[in-house]
Amino acid sequence: MARIELRGINKSFGAQRALRDLDLVVEDGEFFVLLGRTGAGKTTALRVIAGLETPDSGQVLLGDNDVGGWTAAERDVALVLQQYSLYPRLTVRGNLEFPLRSRIRKFSEPEIAARVEKAARTLQIPHLLDRKVERLSGGEMQRVSIGRAIVREPSVFLMDEPLSALDAKLRESLRVELKKLHSTLGATFLFVTHDQVEAMSMADKIGVLQKGRLVQVGTPADIYDRPRNTFVARSVGSPPMNLIDGHLSGGMAELAGFRLPVVAAGERAVTFGVRPENLVLDPGAPGEARIFDIEDQGVVKIVAMDVGGTRLHATVPARTRVLRDEVVRFGWKPDRILTFDPQTGANLAQV
Amino acid sequence: MARIELRNIQKFFGAVQVLKDVNLTIDDGEFVVMLGQSGCGKTTTLRAIAGLETVTSGTIAIDGREVQGLRAADRDIAFVFQSFSLYPHMTVQENIAFPLRAVGMSQTDRDAAVTEVAKVLGIERFLHRKPSALSGGDMQRVAIGRALVRRPKALLMDEPIGALDAKLREQMRAEIKRLHIARASTSVYVTHDQIEAMSLADRIVVMHAGLLQQVGTPEEVYNRPANLFVAQFVGSPVMNVADVVVEGGAGAVVLGFGQGQGIPLDGGHVGHLPRRPVKLGIRPEAVILAHGPGEGLVETQTTNIEPLGSHDIVDVRLGDATLRARAEPGFAGDGQRVWVGLDAERAHFFDGATGMALRRTA
Repeated sequence: MARIELRGINKSFGAQRALRDLDLVVEDGEFFVLLGRTGAGKTTALRVIAGLETPDSGQVLLGDNDVGGWTAAERDVALVLQQYSLYPRLTVRGNLEFPLRSRIRKFSEPEIAARVEKAARTLQIPHLLDRKVERLSGGEMQRVSIGRAIVREPSVFLMDEPLSALDAKLRESLRVELKKLHSTLGATFLFVTHDQVEAMSMADKIGVLQKGRLVQVGTPADIYDRPRNTFVARSVGSPPMNLIDGHLSGGMAELAGFRLPVVAAGERAVTFGVRPENLVLDPGAPGEARIFDIEDQGVVKIVAMDVGGTRLHATVPARTRVLRDEVVRFGWKPDRILTFDPQTGANLAQV
Repeated sequence: MARIELRNIQKFFGAVQVLKDVNLTIDDGEFVVMLGQSGCGKTTTLRAIAGLETVTSGTIAIDGREVQGLRAADRDIAFVFQSFSLYPHMTVQENIAFPLRAVGMSQTDRDAAVTEVAKVLGIERFLHRKPSALSGGDMQRVAIGRALVRRPKALLMDEPIGALDAKLREQMRAEIKRLHIARASTSVYVTHDQIEAMSLADRIVVMHAGLLQQVGTPEEVYNRPANLFVAQFVGSPVMNVADVVVEGGAGAVVLGFGQGQGIPLDGGHVGHLPRRPVKLGIRPEAVILAHGPGEGLVETQTTNIEPLGSHDIVDVRLGDATLRARAEPGFAGDGQRVWVGLDAERAHFFDGATGMALRRTA
């Protein structure tokens, strides 16, 4: 069994607290993505699980075992990092065989050959087996690194930003491959990234990490549509969710000089959250804004516009024609508007 | 302000040819983005314009005057790099004023010029700080200020925001664009990031292996890619490319994807294609997905889904190909029955051997 559990993990580096009372459960066979910015503690959490870092307090459980006293090798988890850490002088085959020839693992030669063959087929690299690693492209190298992790057939994979160093096209195809690999192996994946697209596109569950604490755990849809607070709301989606301070009254959002309908009820000061795709440019709408910038992304345009002192981003159809500094009118989709507490940032629908 | 002309530029580093007959005219006041992977020759081209690199042959003219023999300092061009290269012991004010001191401008004129450029960049309140006290974005603003202060004929930028985080990059893109509009300076900007290119450029120059692949507006490059390389370099997710065969006669034809699966199309869209395998290029937003049968749709199965919140990317199997579709939320990932079609107006075809676009002669 390969359930991962962290209970009350604390870890400091000098005066800096990297992890604060971190509780985390990754179920057996789950693809769990830990999403956070640089310094949020995601790599530290991964290293604590791998046994490369000792926590100051708290428990690490793998399956039913408390592995606090176990070495990294004893934990038998596979680690894939952003840097490939392959042996440049060995062939791909040599690199894949290497973990199987370790002194603490005794594999017969036919067993080694069979496992290397199987890993190579899974990753579609059989044609590269006899090539020197230094002659591979970045994507091929990362595939070999993953191959080196899977030959041992571990039940837990820990991956630290393995796609970050690759170009956009390759990242896209490896995302799909990793998901396929996960379902083929049936193993538990814990994947760490700062890239919200990777988190949204691959995860069964996303955990959003902020300053060493887990803020929310949920499916990609939970995180995107029902964020617990403004931090989570702005950590997924591109451009990030717009936040507009205003007042909620009689089913209307009272903003700087105009009102827009909302579904929420109540009577109070509110920070309204609206995703860029839920803002609508419409000559008859109540809101007025001045266009600051237009980005043509081909499939859509991203319009940055100023309303009073607030800059909003709207995703509009590619055929939309607007000019810089033009004054436009806009509304929004009332049923897609979130409301947050202006002081705490908490989602008012969930309080 | 300047018009920059490159004529038949060749550049060798030893035996390696990094620029192959580059011809390009950048108009006065234009914002041109050179887009390509690392090693494609885009930075070498920029450095050749600046005079930081010699060319093996060919001419570079600025406002009609050939400059390929001139030193960088004599070309009156400013340069901004990814690394900020500010003087750490000088204040922001002194850093920006530095190029003006070098040309012997008076203190009063210098102060006026620095204040003006600082205002445009929104860094007036930092003028007395040292660079080490600034954030990455502000440091790059100072570097841009220093480049602009002496009103150069042209501003050349090499991945100037590549080292900044995503949020700041987005903000700086808009600022650089507005600054360009305000100053009307001829700008050449190098990047590997297609979103930067799409959002900043009047014209994009796509480079690959030392050759210009296409020169055009962002809309042209996105909607009428000249070849497979351009088609797959611009746009996210990447444009689908599949080997197809045109089957059937005049009128209704079928685009065969192998394994007996194909999509019916109006013959008018493919009448110009040769009767041999070609490559279809279709962007995810032009792949139509439906929950039920309909005209021009064929039944298939999903193989993967990427729920991105605002929309989903759904992969479907069609013959030997996997097509990615940009779809509204509502499809499931694995093995769901769906019906797929193509928006033929937005289908591109490329020669299988050369990768060049096969267009209807219009």
